[in-house]
Amino acid sequence: MTWPNDLISDVSSPVPQTMALPLSLRNSVTPPELELIASEELVEIIPLISMERTAFISGAYGPLRPPTKAKIPLWMAMNLKMKKKCHIVPPDWLSVDFLQERLVQETSHPEFSQFPFRFTEMAKLLLDVASDDIQNSDKIRSLLKDIREARQAKSREGLQKIDHSELSLPNLCSMEINEIRPFFVRAMGVLTQLTRDPARQIGV
Amino acid sequence: MPPRRTLLDDDEDFPMAGALTRAAAAAPDPITLDFGAPPETLFQQLVRHWLNERHAPDILPVQAEVLGALLDHIRRQTDTVQALRGDPDSSEAEHVRIMLVQTEVERVKFVVRSYIRTRLYKIEKFARYVVATPEVQEKLSQTELDHAKRFSQLTENHFRVSVLQALPPHQQGLDDNTPFTPPMASEPDKSHAVIVHAREECPPVRLPDGTTMQMQKGQIVLTPYAVVEQLLAVGNVELI
Repeated sequence: MTWPNDLISDVSSPVPQTMALPLSLRNSVTPPELELIASEELVEIIPLISMERTAFISGAYGPLRPPTKAKIPLWMAMNLKMKKKCHIVPPDWLSVDFLQERLVQETSHPEFSQFPFRFTEMAKLLLDVASDDIQNSDKIRSLLKDIREARQAKSREGLQKIDHSELSLPNLCSMEINEIRPFFVRAMGVLTQLTRDPARQIGV
Repeated sequence: MPPRRTLLDDDEDFPMAGALTRAAAAAPDPITLDFGAPPETLFQQLVRHWLNERHAPDILPVQAEVLGALLDHIRRQTDTVQALRGDPDSSEAEHVRIMLVQTEVERVKFVVRSYIRTRLYKIEKFARYVVATPEVQEKLSQTELDHAKRFSQLTENHFRVSVLQALPPHQQGLDDNTPFTPPMASEPDKSHAVIVHAREECPPVRLPDGTTMQMQKGQIVLTPYAVVEQLLAVGNVELI
């Protein structure tokens, strides 16, 4: 007889001792939190409204004078975009040409190709909010998906090299790191236990 | 306006806000000695410490100055918004500005809350260890330390009343040090692996297998927390 999965996890999950931090947030950060961090990155916009230079906690932005381009944080750009008060100029790397070239690199070379550290989050936010400002957004979506799959395959291969002391993760991006974290951290934990001073293991 | 007022009051309850208001200037941290990149803003510093705290198995030193300065900035931004909202003939452009300033304040508050809650979670989890270890106490703010003491006292009393007093005397201890079993007070597991990003070129560190590792700026490495503990304390690396 097999146990239904939900029953097993119900029995084995410890009673939450504290409400300070929900269980799901204790071992890692979540993709929405990574998006929050990524939306501090600056993007270029074409404003449709004027705004005086304004002091924000993260710095002063503006003035906005249509149609002069301006650089503001992504969260601010998204906010204005949703109110139809600006167009977002997509970053250079969010174009069919660039991504196509990177996909070729990614599939023909063993190492990870270089991307902006938070490109996954930024691409998702931009495609969600400003797909009408991005040329060929459908093609871009499918290229991003192909790149993601090519890189995931490499991550899995990288797992072979893991030991108990150190594993270099060159050119991995923030979202990819978050994705492999639970498994890689656990794997290293098991290897640490296996290599620990054998004297301490007696009696366990 | 009452709802905004409540939000503000809520913030004033934050434990580490007081005493540090003089560090109010939002100017970039003068301590940052990175000449290449633009200096980190206060909020970027908090985000870095927040992520460090989220990923580190141990309790890290409290960032009271950053937190105090940011909370103060939040308060000033909120006050400005209050004043501007009271103005009846503000233009539409003015409304957009107010809305953006408020949005940012909420974003910063989110990170502040999450940072404090992450610490609270660890403090409660390791309460008895904190109370027994003076070196760890130095990393806590006074409010956090008081909380740790009260929390560990409460749990100990609870254990005694509900179970321990019914056991034979030699089984009543909460600090038994039996070989080959985990300690009775949970302690941070420093062999827990973390993913680190070198913010600058780092001095060499010793790995568990006996070799040394020297991280170059920008390098990303998966390694046990104990290996990079010192580098993290100095700020050479960040956890991601």
